[in-house]
Amino acid sequence: MAALAITIAVSACGSNGGGPAASAGAAGGSPGRITAVGAENQYANVIAQIGGRYVSVTAIMNNPNTDPHSFEASPSVATAVAAAKLIVQNGAGYDSFMNKIESASPSRSRRVIDVQTLLGLPAFTRNPHLWYEPTTMPKVAAAIVRDLSALAPAHARYFDANGRRFDATLQPWLHAIASFKRLHARTPVAVTEPVADYLLQAAGANVLTPWVLQADIMDGVDPAPQDVTLEDNLFKQHRVKVFLYNRQVTNTVTESFLKLATQNHIPVVGVYETMPPGYSYGAWMLAETRALSEAVTAHRSTEGL
Amino acid sequence: MQALLHAIVEPGFFADGAVQIAATLGGVVAVVAGLIGVFTVIRSQAFAGHALSDIGSAGGSSAYLAGVAPLWGFVGISVLAAAAMEQIGVQRARGRDVATGIVLGVGFALASLFLYLGMTYHNSSGEIPTILFGSVFTLSAANLPLVIGLGAVALLTTLTLYRPLLLASVSPELAAARGVHVRVVGAAYLFALAITVALCDLTIGAILSTALLVGPAAAALRLTDRPHRAALLAAGISLACTWLGLLLAWDSFYWPPLRHGWPVSFFIVTLVLAAYLAAGALARGQTKRG
Repeated sequence: MAALAITIAVSACGSNGGGPAASAGAAGGSPGRITAVGAENQYANVIAQIGGRYVSVTAIMNNPNTDPHSFEASPSVATAVAAAKLIVQNGAGYDSFMNKIESASPSRSRRVIDVQTLLGLPAFTRNPHLWYEPTTMPKVAAAIVRDLSALAPAHARYFDANGRRFDATLQPWLHAIASFKRLHARTPVAVTEPVADYLLQAAGANVLTPWVLQADIMDGVDPAPQDVTLEDNLFKQHRVKVFLYNRQVTNTVTESFLKLATQNHIPVVGVYETMPPGYSYGAWMLAETRALSEAVTAHRSTEGL
Repeated sequence: MQALLHAIVEPGFFADGAVQIAATLGGVVAVVAGLIGVFTVIRSQAFAGHALSDIGSAGGSSAYLAGVAPLWGFVGISVLAAAAMEQIGVQRARGRDVATGIVLGVGFALASLFLYLGMTYHNSSGEIPTILFGSVFTLSAANLPLVIGLGAVALLTTLTLYRPLLLASVSPELAAARGVHVRVVGAAYLFALAITVALCDLTIGAILSTALLVGPAAAALRLTDRPHRAALLAAGISLACTWLGLLLAWDSFYWPPLRHGWPVSFFIVTLVLAAYLAAGALARGQTKRG
């Protein structure tokens, strides 16, 4: 139910979706449009921005109230994947259920963009949240332009123009990162889980939470009490200026951190694994980066987007 | 001396907040489990106890799904399952294993449903290992009043029925002839057992909780025939295993793979087994000499 949600609707009907899309159907694809799937809704959003009226996109993971790390696919996901001509997935073990479903319904004409492979990263990349890295999405967008153009060569110029427009939408975010880095480099921060670590790194922030604790929370195993005490002290001794709290991966340990941060008046910034409703990818990233800088400059919490 | 102590107890153990809470909660649960467990072993209800604890996984997962404290889920499902077993016929030796087995199956089926729903629609992380194998270091002090209250209910129930329960456990026919309501006494004990199991579910997890219930009691009964002495001994063994388990888990942070503490439940259950084997060796030694 929560798995298959927004089939991103586009009003105008495509005149020519290019041969393969004609078979579509099952997963809400209308005839004449290329059926595509984004394993996470941020990737689906980029496909929709580039594919526009010629593409019908389905996002598999889009519920901001679930933990994508422990997501299990339902039969409707398999239906969507079987019908898709273009799939964008994260890789790095984050959505390995996609590989299983794809091999269950093999298709020679289907194009799969695996972001981890696209970036040339190893399968054991320890932080899988690749979409927080500012250089990731432009590369993904270029790959989407290339694949959509191959699937529907008649619209290649349209996809190309949309690709450039997408890159332009990321400019405000990139500026926000650059200005944070200029003004607040080495700002000490605490996190629960590595979701926004690539962004923090790009912005020059200094993550004081031990990696093992972050990995334990991400993997859903009990952190060692020593690490929990270390994190507790980051708040009690006011050693961090901001606490980034992953809204989608929570448990009693993260809740106790949140309580401590609030008690010690450390601003909290809620961060997400998948795109929260009402945002596009660029707007989402900009909102989180702005929340981070407001936490540092104005001491303001943004607990949720 | 100081150096030796440091080698055994890595620094910070006694001062750590999580350790203090875990030692208090784990200690209370260990004592209750040891005392109640002796009757479980005398009555040969180890399988029923194990089934109740496994069924706890359904309770724990439903509590996560509903967003309430897991202990309520453990207690609720455990008492319900005990009532179901009583109705189907856990009292009669013949029907007992069948009744227990059927209820156990349903419990696991529910657990699989609740865990699936929880993972799909909930943002909580790591609930499966927590429910199945426990995570005593992550428990909050807020659990303490409830754990002590439930432990007291289980202990008072068993203590009130001590004599008739003992007689009904050893010889149901004789107890019935003496006017003991064997079924009522058995049902009341099953209720106390269900609560105890739920407490163990909280500290060492639904899958492992029988180890704490049955292991120390079985070890104690190898060393003494007297029920009250066995109960006290079992409580002592259970407490020692729990506290030593906490210490080893703390120390394991400094073992390979570095900075990953090993699960507490592993240590507690392994120590319980060691205590059981040691008690066996000790008992054999005594009979030889005697």
